[in-house]
Amino acid sequence: MATNTFTGASLSERFLRLKLNQRLAFNSIAGQRYSSISSYGRRNVSFSSQPRSIRLTVSCAAKPETVEKVCKIVKNQLALSDDSKVNGESTFTALGADSLDTVEIVMGLEEEFGITVEEDSAQSISTVQEAADLIEEIINKQSP
Amino acid sequence: MANAALRNVKVLPNSANMEEARHRVFQFFRTACRSLPSVMEIYNLYDVVSVSELRSSVSSQIRKNIHVTDPKVIDMLLFKGMEELKNVVDHSKQRHHIIGQYVVGQQVQDSATKDQGTSTFLKNFYNTNYF
Repeated sequence: MATNTFTGASLSERFLRLKLNQRLAFNSIAGQRYSSISSYGRRNVSFSSQPRSIRLTVSCAAKPETVEKVCKIVKNQLALSDDSKVNGESTFTALGADSLDTVEIVMGLEEEFGITVEEDSAQSISTVQEAADLIEEIINKQSP
Repeated sequence: MANAALRNVKVLPNSANMEEARHRVFQFFRTACRSLPSVMEIYNLYDVVSVSELRSSVSSQIRKNIHVTDPKVIDMLLFKGMEELKNVVDHSKQRHHIIGQYVVGQQVQDSATKDQGTSTFLKNFYNTNYF
C-alpha cells in the first residue's frame, strides 16, 4: 500500500514536471513568434530563429552541468577517489554514505549553489540525479 | 542572524521514540551548519579553516555518539550540543577555543594514539586523570 502510494506520488511529480517544461517551451515559442511578427515581418524570420536555438541549447546544457557539479561535491564530501565512478544513477547509500552523510551532502550543496533546501525535500533525496533535479527546481523558483 | 534564530530555541519535551530523536539530531545538525558562516565571521576563521571543514568536524562530533540508542540520552546530548552551539554563536568563547576544539582537536588526539613506545601508564596518563 505504501509502496503504491510512493510510486503514484513520484509518477505524478514527474508528470507535473514534464507538463511544466512543455508549458515553458510553448510560452517562449509563442513570445518569439509574436514579437518577430509585430516588429520585423517576414524578412527577419530566419534571423530571429538563431537566438531561439541558442536558448534551447543553453537550457539543455544546464542539467548535465548541474549533475557534474553535484557529483564533484559528493566525491569531496565522501572522500572518494577521483577514479570512482559517480554518475546520475548513483545512490548515496551505494557510495557508503549513512543518513548523517546524506544531510551533510545536502548542506554542502546548499552552500555551493546558494540555496535553502527544505527539510521535507532533503529527506527524499537518495540519488545524485534527484539532488540535481531538486536544485534545478529550487533555482528556477528563486530566480523569478 | 544565527544569533536571533537561536534565541528562540526552547527545551523540547523528550522524544517519544528513536525515530523522533533521530529526526531531531538531523535538525540540530542542519541548524549548526547554517550557523557556520556566521561563526566564521565572528571569530575570523577564514585563514585557519573553511566552512566545509568545520561542517566535517561537527558531523564527526555527532558521529562519536553514533552508538547511543536510548532516546533520553540522545535528548540530553542534543541539549548539550544546542547549549554549546549557543555559546559559540553568542561569542561566549574565544577564538582559540574554537580552533582548539574544532580545528586542531582531532589532530592532537590522532597524534596521541600513534604513540607506540610509551607504556600503558603514560598512555592512560595522557588520555585522562580518571583511571
